[in-house]
Amino acid sequence: MFFTLMRLQYLKSVRSTSFAKSALATGFLVFIALLLLSYVFLAGLFLGRIIDEFVEGQDPISFLNSVLIYFFLFEFMYRYFVQKLPVVDLESLLHLPIGKKKIVCVLLLRSFLSPLNVIALLLFLPFGVEAVQEEYGVLGLVSWLGTLLCLSWTLHWFMLWFKQRFEDSLIGLGVVFLVVLLSGGTTYLGWFNVGELLSPFFTVATQSLLPLIGMVLLLGLVYLLSYRYYVAHAYLEELGEEEEYRVAGQSFGLFSRFGMAGELANLEWKLILRHKKSRTYLMLSAFFLLYGLIFYTNPAYQSETGISPIYIFVGVFITGIFMIQYGQLFLSWNSANFDFFIQRKGGLEALVRGKYLLFMSISGVCFLASVPYVYFGWEILLVHLATFLFNAGVLIHVIIYVALWKPKPMDLNKGAMFNYEGVGAAQFLIIIPLMAGPYLVYLPFSYLINDYAGLLALGVTGLAGILAFRPLSRIITNRLLANRYEISSSFRQEL
Amino acid sequence: MIQVSQLKKQYKEAVVLDIPELLISKGECFGLVGNNGAGKTTLFRILLDLVRATSGQVTFNGEDVSKTESWKSQVGAYLDEQMLLAFLTPDEYFETLRKIYGLSTADLELHLSKFEELFNGEVLGKKKYIRDLSKGNLKKVGIAAALLGHPQVVLLDEPFENLDPSSQIRLKKLILSELEASKTTFLISSHDLNHVTEICDRIVLLEKGKVIRDLREKGEMLQELEAYFVG
Repeated sequence: MFFTLMRLQYLKSVRSTSFAKSALATGFLVFIALLLLSYVFLAGLFLGRIIDEFVEGQDPISFLNSVLIYFFLFEFMYRYFVQKLPVVDLESLLHLPIGKKKIVCVLLLRSFLSPLNVIALLLFLPFGVEAVQEEYGVLGLVSWLGTLLCLSWTLHWFMLWFKQRFEDSLIGLGVVFLVVLLSGGTTYLGWFNVGELLSPFFTVATQSLLPLIGMVLLLGLVYLLSYRYYVAHAYLEELGEEEEYRVAGQSFGLFSRFGMAGELANLEWKLILRHKKSRTYLMLSAFFLLYGLIFYTNPAYQSETGISPIYIFVGVFITGIFMIQYGQLFLSWNSANFDFFIQRKGGLEALVRGKYLLFMSISGVCFLASVPYVYFGWEILLVHLATFLFNAGVLIHVIIYVALWKPKPMDLNKGAMFNYEGVGAAQFLIIIPLMAGPYLVYLPFSYLINDYAGLLALGVTGLAGILAFRPLSRIITNRLLANRYEISSSFRQEL
Repeated sequence: MIQVSQLKKQYKEAVVLDIPELLISKGECFGLVGNNGAGKTTLFRILLDLVRATSGQVTFNGEDVSKTESWKSQVGAYLDEQMLLAFLTPDEYFETLRKIYGLSTADLELHLSKFEELFNGEVLGKKKYIRDLSKGNLKKVGIAAALLGHPQVVLLDEPFENLDPSSQIRLKKLILSELEASKTTFLISSHDLNHVTEICDRIVLLEKGKVIRDLREKGEMLQELEAYFVG
C-alpha cells in the first residue's frame, strides 16, 4: 500500500502538465536548481578558508559555532517563504479505504524530498570533514554534522505545521518578526548575543553525542506534531491553499470618466488584483521603483559633464516596468475570457483602449512615485519625465504590437515565479525595441548637441506619440481584429 | 445503515445544512433532490467525512464516520472529478484501486465487464490520461470506480449529468441491476426528476439545508416534486 502511494506520487510529478508540455522549461529549472545547489556546495568547500580570511587567528570551529544559529534563523525565514505544503492530493485519496494516517504519512515524506533539505548538508559537510573531523575525529564529525542536519530537518517539519496552523494570522507574522528581531536586532542593540548564547551547544556536539540524541528526539517530536495536526485536519476545507472568498479590489472612480474604455480598465484592474500571477507582477513593479537606488547611488555611473546614458535605461524601466512586464503578455491575461470580448459589440476595441488607459495610468503613478529620486539631482527627474513620455507615447504601442504576435493562453492562478506559461518568441524579442528604441532617439541628439537635447528629443517624440494616439492605437486594434479567430482558437486550446 | 443525527453545518452565520434526523436503510435507493444551494453535495461530503460537520454526527452501521475509517472499504462514492487521480490512464486508475481494495485481477475484469456497454469502447485500453477525457467519460470512470469492491453503499452526485441519452439509460439499467443483484444501497442526488423518480424508491427534498419532503410513494413522487419545483 505504502509503495503504491509512493508510486502514485512519482507518477504525478512526472506526468504533471507543465512537465510534459514543456520539457525544455523543466529541464532549465532543474538546471538552475542544480546550479544553485552546486554554488552552495562550493561555498561549503571554501567555508573554512572564508572564515580564516574573515577572522584571522581565531579558531574557525568555535567561530562557526558561534554564528551557526544565524544560519538557522535565516533558514527559518526562507523556509517560511519558500516551503510549500503538500496537501493537493487529499481530495483524490481521502474517500478510498486507505486511511488518513497513511495518506498523511506519504504526503509528509514526499515533502521531505526537497532541495531545501540538502542545503545544510552541502554547506557544512566539507567544513566538517576538513576541520571538525581533523580535530575531533569521525565521531565528532558525525555528532556535529548530525546535530546540524537534525536542526535543519526539524525546521522542515516545524514549518509544515507552523505555516498551516498560523497561515494568514497575526501570530504567524509576529513569530516571523520575532525571528528577524532575534537574528539581528538583539545583537545590534546589545541586549544579548544569540550566537554566543548558543555556541556552547554546537561546541558540545563536537565532543559528545548528547546534543545529537537531543536533536533526534526533537526531530521526532516535531514530526509527530505536524503529523498529528495533518491527520486531525485532513478535511477538504481545512488544509490546502485558502481560497479567497472575500471580494478584493475596488473600482477606480476616476476611470469611469473615460466611458467604455474606463469600464474595461476597471475590469482589468480587478482581474489583476484577483489573480495570483498578476498580483505578483504588480508587486514586482512596485519593487522595481527601487531599481534606481542601485544606479543613482553608484559612483561608476555618475558623469561630471551630463547624464550617464545608462540612466535612460533605468528611467524607462522605472516608469514603464508595469507595461513592460504585464504588457508583454498583453492578451494572454484575458485568455480565459477572450470570447467574452469578441462576442460584445466593439468589445475588442474597448479592451485594447481599456488596457492602454490602465498602462498609462499605472505608468503615471510610477512616475509620480519616482519623483523623490530628485534627491540625487534634478536631471534625474528630467530623465524620468522624458522616459515616461516616451513610454506612454511610443514604447507602449511597440510592446503591444509585438505582444499581439501569437499570444498564448495561461492560467492566472498559478504563481509568477519560474512560470513560463504564455511566454513565446515574441516575449523574448520584445527586449530589442525596448532597449534600442529610447537610445535611437536619445543618443544622436546627445552626441550632436548635449544630453539635455537628447532628453528633449525623447520627450517630444513621446508627446508626438501621445498626440497621435488614435491612429497608432487603430493600427493595434486592426491587427487584433484581423487575427481574432486565430487568437481565440489558440486560447481555447488547453494549457 | 446510515444514521444522521442533529447534523448541522455552518459557515460563520450561514447555516447550510440542518438535519435533525435521517435514517437510510440497507438496500434502499435513496434519491436526493433540491435546487442549487440546497445542501445536497454538502450532505454527501459530510457523509463521506470529507467535510467536518459543525455539530451532530453521521454513523455507518453504528460507527461514527469521523472517528473511524473502517467504513471506507464499504462505501463507494463519486462526487466530482477531484476524486479521481487525473494523471493516470483509466486502466492504471482501476489497477491502482484494485490494489487498494485488495481485489484479484479476475475480480477487476469481472467488475469492468459490467461497464462494457456504458463505456462504449471509449474508456479502456486508450492511451489517454483521465484529465484529458471528456466530461461524460470522466463521469463513467468515476461511477465504475465508486462501484468497485462490492461496496454496501454507493454515493453518486449528479450521475446523469453530462451523459448522452444512451449512456443515461444504460446507467439506469446498471444501477437497477446492482440494486437487484447485490442489495447495494444507493444515494443519488440529481436534478433530473424523471430519472431519479424512476429508479429511487425514496426521495428526500432539501431546501436551504433542511429536509422538507420525504417521499416514499413511488406513484406520487413525480407529481409532488413537479408541484414543488413549479412553485
